[in-house]
Amino acid sequence: MTTIRLENLVKHFGDFTALKTMDLEIRDGEFMALLGPSGCGKSTTMNMIAGMEDPSGGRILFDGRDMNGVPMGKRGVGFVFQNYAIFTHMTVRQNLAYGPKMRGMRRSEIDRRVKNIADFLQLTPLLDQKSAKLSVNILQRLAIGRSAIVEPAIFLLDEPLSNVDAAFRAVMRTELKHLQKQFEQTMVYVTHDQLEAMTMADRIAVMDHGVLQQVGTPLEVYNNPANIFVAKFIGAPGMNLIAGELAETDRGLAVDLGTWGVSPPLSDDLAAAARAAGSRAVQYGFRPEEATLGPEGQGLRARVTFVERIGARTIVHVESGQTAKIVAGNDVACSIGDVVSIVPAPQAVRLFDAASTAAIRGA
Amino acid sequence: MSATETLARTAASTPSRAAQPVDRESRRLGFRLTLPTQLLVLFIAVFPLLMQLYISLTDWSPLDGVSWWKAWQSWNNFANYTDLVEDRRWWGALGRTFIIMLVCVPAEFLLALGLATLFMDDFPGKRIFYSILLMPMMVVPAVAGYMFFMLFQSGGPFNGIVSALTGMDIRIAWLSDPTLALVAVMIADIWQWTPLMFLILLAGLVGVPEDQLKAATLLGANWRQRFFTIMLPRIKTIMVIALAIRVIEIFKIFDTLYIMTGGGPGVATETISVYVYKVTTQDLIWGYVAAIALVILIVLSVLAVFAMKRMDAAKNGGAAVQKGARA
Repeated sequence: MTTIRLENLVKHFGDFTALKTMDLEIRDGEFMALLGPSGCGKSTTMNMIAGMEDPSGGRILFDGRDMNGVPMGKRGVGFVFQNYAIFTHMTVRQNLAYGPKMRGMRRSEIDRRVKNIADFLQLTPLLDQKSAKLSVNILQRLAIGRSAIVEPAIFLLDEPLSNVDAAFRAVMRTELKHLQKQFEQTMVYVTHDQLEAMTMADRIAVMDHGVLQQVGTPLEVYNNPANIFVAKFIGAPGMNLIAGELAETDRGLAVDLGTWGVSPPLSDDLAAAARAAGSRAVQYGFRPEEATLGPEGQGLRARVTFVERIGARTIVHVESGQTAKIVAGNDVACSIGDVVSIVPAPQAVRLFDAASTAAIRGA
Repeated sequence: MSATETLARTAASTPSRAAQPVDRESRRLGFRLTLPTQLLVLFIAVFPLLMQLYISLTDWSPLDGVSWWKAWQSWNNFANYTDLVEDRRWWGALGRTFIIMLVCVPAEFLLALGLATLFMDDFPGKRIFYSILLMPMMVVPAVAGYMFFMLFQSGGPFNGIVSALTGMDIRIAWLSDPTLALVAVMIADIWQWTPLMFLILLAGLVGVPEDQLKAATLLGANWRQRFFTIMLPRIKTIMVIALAIRVIEIFKIFDTLYIMTGGGPGVATETISVYVYKVTTQDLIWGYVAAIALVILIVLSVLAVFAMKRMDAAKNGGAAVQKGARA
């Protein structure tokens, strides 16, 4: 039960900068996901929180206490490794009892804790089994139990589901979220899988190239990406972005998208923000799910290059100098080569400054 | 009785295995293709063994003027084996071999484990020290024997160093004193074979998953606790293998020792290998030699089987670990 604050956190490995600068507050009892492509610095951040690596600069505070110089065994951090790092030469019971034993707790106290945690995680019937032969979901529970038994202030999870096959991952996700709710623990979860982050986290910190891009609830990050990277990274497929220039039309401010045609007029908020921002070159963005496909006429013009039918939905790839994707119903009638017109839902349109890549947002 | 039963059961289970779609033609081809190897194995392993067993039951000696296959003429009804039981020189040699084993193997093991643990961390000059440490293993045993022969002379460098350290003129005749000669031989063995043990144990320690060590640290284990609860149990199999190798090797200790002391003074450093060598080349009673060698072979085989079993167990255990990680 701890608030974690990262202040101006920096990490260099020789010439390589893994983390440029990071400020983040993880609230008490919160499930925070650090999300980003590999090499974005999320694991480095996590390792520094755990104390496995020393920061090159900045501070890590647990409830206001500076953790600099506190060895990893003394931080009260529970760590669940990617491969769970279960001590396979021990039984389940020995694994669970490891932490308390190393801290020199009394035998009766160890037994009491092992019993409680095993009951809680439904590991009681397995206590005397060798842990080498357990299935993955039990390994996950055991890994969490082994950390939880010493009552850590926070839990750090390093991509625990990346070794699990896709079908089972959904089960593990549910179970993990469920456990977090029960423990009411502050958890930091590192992942490159946005689905895991979206489904489990209370808030997501999106990172790229050692820079924190955006922090927010899953829906905030999805609906209002702070910049082009987040817009593209979140969502499957990511947000459509088409380069264009702001243009005044007789129906209000719109974006001239070149060969695509001119966009429908922007909403008043967005138009005001765009005028205030001053720059003319923008990226016009909308979610593939929030556009409708119609026959040629109104809307943006493009040619269909590929049609992906995935059952429930159809992903239509379109192109007109630049490419975009539209998610339509499974009964959409179009084939490769058709010229279609695309009408983005007005409230779903987002604008990004082409130079700074930052979002242009209405008040 | 039970052996025949087992055989019968094996024979009974064979047809079910043969029911697999391997036709007779390809089985015959397989037999033909492996025939040269099978003959080779027969020739270099099975045949000498049977020959040894045969000769060990006779009083045959190359001086008899009788070819070895006619050794049955001096058939002696296991007299070699009963003689062996009463042979005090044999028991003495066996005892000394055990003493060397009981001193050298633990000493080499502890030294090697300590060094291997040190070498897990990085320190300046690690590579150079690593090369230096492995050097003794590369020295030809005969050369090592001569080296130690010179070192332990009464006017040699070993006494020189001790003299310099104590400030007294010490002239111990190491290799002429029955007890000290044995000590000198042991020092030479430890010097030469600690590196091998070090190499094996280091390989084991490096293979301990780093995540597990980190997990242990995060759970509050200090260095000593990590060493005894994670590292040692994880290299248990490798430890057993390293120990088995050295135990078997000590049974065969010969070259370095023979050059240093020739088994002397008297029989003070005579090990079973030296004894066998002397009986073979000086006394020339080869029937007896065959019996001794067979007994040693059986003892070593039991040790080797034990080591193999551990290795198998390790392989299976390792596979389970990997499966767990991948699943």
